[in-house]
Amino acid sequence: MFDFLIHGFDVALSPLNLGLALLGALLGTLFGALPGIGPINGIAILMPLAYTLGLPAESALILLAAIYTGAEYGGRMSSILLNVPGDAGAVMTTLDGHPLAKKGLAGPALGLSAVSSFVGATIAIIGLTLFAPLLAEVAVMFGPAEFFALMVFAFASMSVMMGKDPVKTAIGAVLGVLIGTVGVDSSTGVLRYTFGLPELYDGIDFVVMIIGLFAISEILLMLEHANRKDGNDGLPPLGRVFISLKEVMACKWTMGRSGLIGFIIGILPGTGASVAGAVAYTTEKRLSDKDNSFGTGNMRGLAAPEAANNASAAGSFVPMLTLGIPGSGTTAVLLGALMLYNITPGPMMFSERPEVAGGLIASLYIGNIVLLALNLPLAGVFARVLTIPRWVLVPGIAILAFVGVFQLHSNLAAIYLMLIIGVFGYLLRKLGFSLAPVILGYVLGGLMEQNLRRALSISGGDLGILWQSGISLGLWIAALALLLLPWLLPKLWQAKTSKA
Amino acid sequence: MRLAADRLLGIVLIGLAAFVAVQAMQLEVPFSYDPVGPRAFPLGLAILLAALASVLIVKPGTNEAWPGRQLSVKLLLVLVTLLIYALLFTNLGFIITSLLAVASLSRIFGASWGKALLTGGLMAVVSYFLFAHALGISLPSGYWIEPLL
Repeated sequence: MFDFLIHGFDVALSPLNLGLALLGALLGTLFGALPGIGPINGIAILMPLAYTLGLPAESALILLAAIYTGAEYGGRMSSILLNVPGDAGAVMTTLDGHPLAKKGLAGPALGLSAVSSFVGATIAIIGLTLFAPLLAEVAVMFGPAEFFALMVFAFASMSVMMGKDPVKTAIGAVLGVLIGTVGVDSSTGVLRYTFGLPELYDGIDFVVMIIGLFAISEILLMLEHANRKDGNDGLPPLGRVFISLKEVMACKWTMGRSGLIGFIIGILPGTGASVAGAVAYTTEKRLSDKDNSFGTGNMRGLAAPEAANNASAAGSFVPMLTLGIPGSGTTAVLLGALMLYNITPGPMMFSERPEVAGGLIASLYIGNIVLLALNLPLAGVFARVLTIPRWVLVPGIAILAFVGVFQLHSNLAAIYLMLIIGVFGYLLRKLGFSLAPVILGYVLGGLMEQNLRRALSISGGDLGILWQSGISLGLWIAALALLLLPWLLPKLWQAKTSKA
Repeated sequence: MRLAADRLLGIVLIGLAAFVAVQAMQLEVPFSYDPVGPRAFPLGLAILLAALASVLIVKPGTNEAWPGRQLSVKLLLVLVTLLIYALLFTNLGFIITSLLAVASLSRIFGASWGKALLTGGLMAVVSYFLFAHALGISLPSGYWIEPLL
């Protein structure tokens, strides 16, 4: 049953792939530590380089996955030291992490968060190893109708769980799907929304889309923070850099519980690190906050979200590898990256491309150890990254974005399109949208339409096929329940309390 | 009553939905065995988008603070810099355009002229060697420059 893992370690331990995992871990931590750049931006900016190196699919995926997990590690730096979360997933880390830094315990806080990240990720990777092949076996039975229902479920779960505003999350996803419809329709050859521009015949390119959406909009957004004097230019002193075994052991159950919570939440499509961190933090507060010290610099309050958000990063690989449905915005980017290699992740990947699935999982084990080894002694070095001024950072991102798009397309149309998408992404963010649903919609939309049309051509146009099987009917009901839940729960609650 | 940004957005999105729908209806579909065709999916999306946009008009959500005048000017400057960078990228070549773009961006983001020019020069040369020599990416050398070399 674990043949794929043995094969995977063979792949991941080759000198090239081992080197890439190291490089990715290092780059990811650095990019994650950069102020304002979360995992998804880091991957968006670095992805074109992965293609430039002309790597085979499994190696590129190993590099990108190492960047992803590395960025989750690096994201905690600015949360703890500056009280500025690098991305949504690190918001909870600021609650107890920054107060610890203010107490002069920045060093131990960084150390503990590295250990909890490691523990959380390890739990989730073991979960991934055990659970993914089982899920893949179930998923082999999925036909187009089931996949369509699954994607409806994924979008429903995303709308409810991701972001503050469900309506905007849904709108963002629809816009993403619409952007995905541009170009030639694969089954009839009809051109859609190309407005006679030959550059658009192949659709809006994935790399152009993510670099525009994440890197360019980030540059525009950073301008605001460059102007705002937030008075935290200086780093707090790190204090002692080492964390004692006793301090780690005091948090062992916190890490264990939070890792498990993070893994389970990571599996649910559309719910990423931010939800995992929040749920783990509130659970831990309820369970172990005896002296009401959560929020004032409690070690457990730091360990919980850190273990959970790293666990959810690994957990979000489960639906991506087995069903082809990404569990988070960042795995959506990775999924798109795989599709560029003509690999559509799904249940067959474990049997047809074991070197990709197994290699990735094995590299997660290796990357995780590398990250712990890098992050414990080098915390001080990585923390220096935070002091890089914006006037160096921003032009650097601009060069990477231009070179990244240009080397893939060698034409300026792609660069103009990237800039247009960047402005679009900036406007969306200013309007209170989160970008993850947009990228999920863009990546999943095409698959959703294909599966819908395939299902209906099997049935000769009869819509009934979409909910005929038990699996798809169950998914439809689950999706409906998810959408109605936030609306029904308060009403039920009210009815109950008014009776009492 | 002030028109909330979300209401305006809702109206724009309904316009977009209508546009998507009209465009979809105009697609000419050759004969095929596919009972759905290329029209249905965008049409469905347009209907969904219009419905969601109506919710937004009835119940607008919250937005982030919009940039003030000073910031808007800077935003525009950044965009113009990037646009000029793109326009000249293939004509003046990677090194010169990168130097100019980096210096300009640095300056907009608060560096002094001296620091901005120094960053521009260093970043352009270092990244050129990194990309072109270490990674083997072919970068534009510049149509206007080539004859002079």
